[in-house]
Amino acid sequence: MSINVKIPSPLRGLTGGQAEVPVEAETVDEALKQVSVEFSGFGEKVLDEGGQVRRFINIYVNEDNIKDRDDLGTAIQAGDTISILPSIAGGA
Amino acid sequence: MLIIPRPLLKQIHKHMEETYPHECCGLIIGTTGDKKAVELFRPCRNLNNERAADRYELDPKDMLLTQREFEEGPWDIIGIYHSHPDHPSKPSQFDTDRAWPGYSYIIGSVNNGSVEKLQSWELNESERKFYEEPLDIQEEE
Repeated sequence: MSINVKIPSPLRGLTGGQAEVPVEAETVDEALKQVSVEFSGFGEKVLDEGGQVRRFINIYVNEDNIKDRDDLGTAIQAGDTISILPSIAGGA
Repeated sequence: MLIIPRPLLKQIHKHMEETYPHECCGLIIGTTGDKKAVELFRPCRNLNNERAADRYELDPKDMLLTQREFEEGPWDIIGIYHSHPDHPSKPSQFDTDRAWPGYSYIIGSVNNGSVEKLQSWELNESERKFYEEPLDIQEEE
């Protein structure tokens, strides 16, 4: 089914400037792999060597952090939106 | 160069001072391209309660909502601001380790509850090093 993956501005250099990438997928994992195949370098930024979401990335399906659902196995439905968000932190 | 209107800067100061002695954080929204300019900002929650005096973790839900708010344009998230209570307005190693390229990082040094200095920084990703980004403060008309 067709869903949209929203790309944050720091990663748009890897998607040719696209803020939104449409994919056909049943799970978050499938969706991210499709974006990775389409755009070289994207997968390495979002997923680690073990195929898990990198520590400084948050992924939401609609309003839900996938950590609170089934992580990369989270099922998606037509019309859902996957948002990739940079984790923002720091301090003195 | 980051262009920011004085009234917005004053409001960011206010947020930094109100949250002292804790760090505050927020998102700055505006335009990039030929001219990088701040149009408005959104204060966000600092989820780091254990070390709020010297750490911040911006609530990802606030990031999500702000990204959605501006996904149809005309502006976008162009950076982050946060305070350094009783510390200089320079990025720490922790700031550098957690920084993203392309964003402006505004840091305000808040001493005894008052903003003393505020600077903006940009990450050079290949060097993993911050460089100061001059602020062009637009005065009220």
